[in-house]
Amino acid sequence: MHWEVIWRYREVLWNGLIFTLQLSVLSIVGSLVVGVVMGCLGALPNFFLRKFVATYVEVLRNLPVVVKLFFLYFVVGLEAMPAAVIALVTHQSAYIADLVAAGLRAVPREQSEAAYACGHGQWQIYRHILLPQALRIVAPPMTSQFIEVVKNTSTAMLIGVEELTFQTQAIESETFRGFEAASTVTLMYLAMALAIAGGMGLLERRLRLR
Amino acid sequence: MSEAQKLLIWRLSMAVLMAAGIWSVRDAGWDVVWRSGPFLLRGIGATLLLTVISVSIGLAGGVVLAILRLFAPPGLRHLAIGYIEVLRAIPQLMVIFWVFYTWPAITGSSVPGWWAAVISLSMIAAAYLAEVVRAGILSVPKTQWESGYVTGLSALQNMTRIILPQAGRNMLPALISHFIMMLKTTSLVYVVGIIDFFRAIIIVNNRDFAPAALYLTMAAGYFVGCYALSWLVRRIEPRYALTT
Repeated sequence: MHWEVIWRYREVLWNGLIFTLQLSVLSIVGSLVVGVVMGCLGALPNFFLRKFVATYVEVLRNLPVVVKLFFLYFVVGLEAMPAAVIALVTHQSAYIADLVAAGLRAVPREQSEAAYACGHGQWQIYRHILLPQALRIVAPPMTSQFIEVVKNTSTAMLIGVEELTFQTQAIESETFRGFEAASTVTLMYLAMALAIAGGMGLLERRLRLR
Repeated sequence: MSEAQKLLIWRLSMAVLMAAGIWSVRDAGWDVVWRSGPFLLRGIGATLLLTVISVSIGLAGGVVLAILRLFAPPGLRHLAIGYIEVLRAIPQLMVIFWVFYTWPAITGSSVPGWWAAVISLSMIAAAYLAEVVRAGILSVPKTQWESGYVTGLSALQNMTRIILPQAGRNMLPALISHFIMMLKTTSLVYVVGIIDFFRAIIIVNNRDFAPAALYLTMAAGYFVGCYALSWLVRRIEPRYALTT
């Protein structure tokens, strides 16, 4: 064991962490926005919107992230970072759309009927009545969706984004200390997952209805 | 407009879209895909084989982990919980690299690609399936346990004869969902040098360079496999949800 290698390569790992965090934050925000919009559109009474959302979810959920990634990078010809973010957003937003739709279904029907009777429009009902409740309901599974995004950022190394997993490979190929590098990076991923779980737990407690 | 008419319009417009899409990529170099057919089929075989092997080993490991997590004394239980939670929280690629780097540290020689792939995929599958099995075991009503004990079955007999068969029925849809997940995850093991479907496509592309045709074939291949399985889940789910 030569743990001093990690200290020597701290800059490399730090740069990798920055890339991973950038990718994670962009993709989490993006997939949350797209997922919530898609989930709401799918819950509207319009037949074609519902079919469109169902197709979006079904197609994107049944393709591995790397397939999307390689397609966007090699066939569409995007730069590495945009390709990675779009791949991650399209992948996870499909799962999140499904989740939000389930959350919306879980809100009792009377809620939107009552709001409609009070003279609220469709948009107001979603904005003030349905979404606040649905998002609270799906907060726990949403945590694992966000962790999933962080995990999937590692696939961006395959198209040359120098994130954490990429740097692990780089350290291994320069020093043959792959075990130490992989252990360190594993701990960093764990810390990120714990941070997300902790943050979401805090948010859930703050937003709990009394 | 009636529901049936809307559905017809939807299907027609999707068909038109599909046709337009296929028409727009008609010159993408499909002869490359055709000529590499046998090679790509072998890749698909490797992908399916890897999925089946890792899910089988993972299921066995998952049953053990789930039982440990539910019934083992504190020390062992926390080990099982730690394993499950860590494996589920770190990227699948990291697990693959981890196996790849740890093997030489233990045995002193580099790990063969197939071993690295099977070990890492099975480790991942075991962690996820442990949670599926746990949910399955917890879904069996408590009265089943009690009646098992009352009839004089031992804990082991109770588990293998009464609880696991019922848990298995209840968790079948979730099990197939995770099979789909593992099928998608196998696309990552190309980093250890196995010629699965994903790597086969890349190799052919490096030789003949027809990215549009090849990557579309790849997307279609994974989609058909995963979609067929998720269709199966939807088919059997209601039937399984009703009976306990």
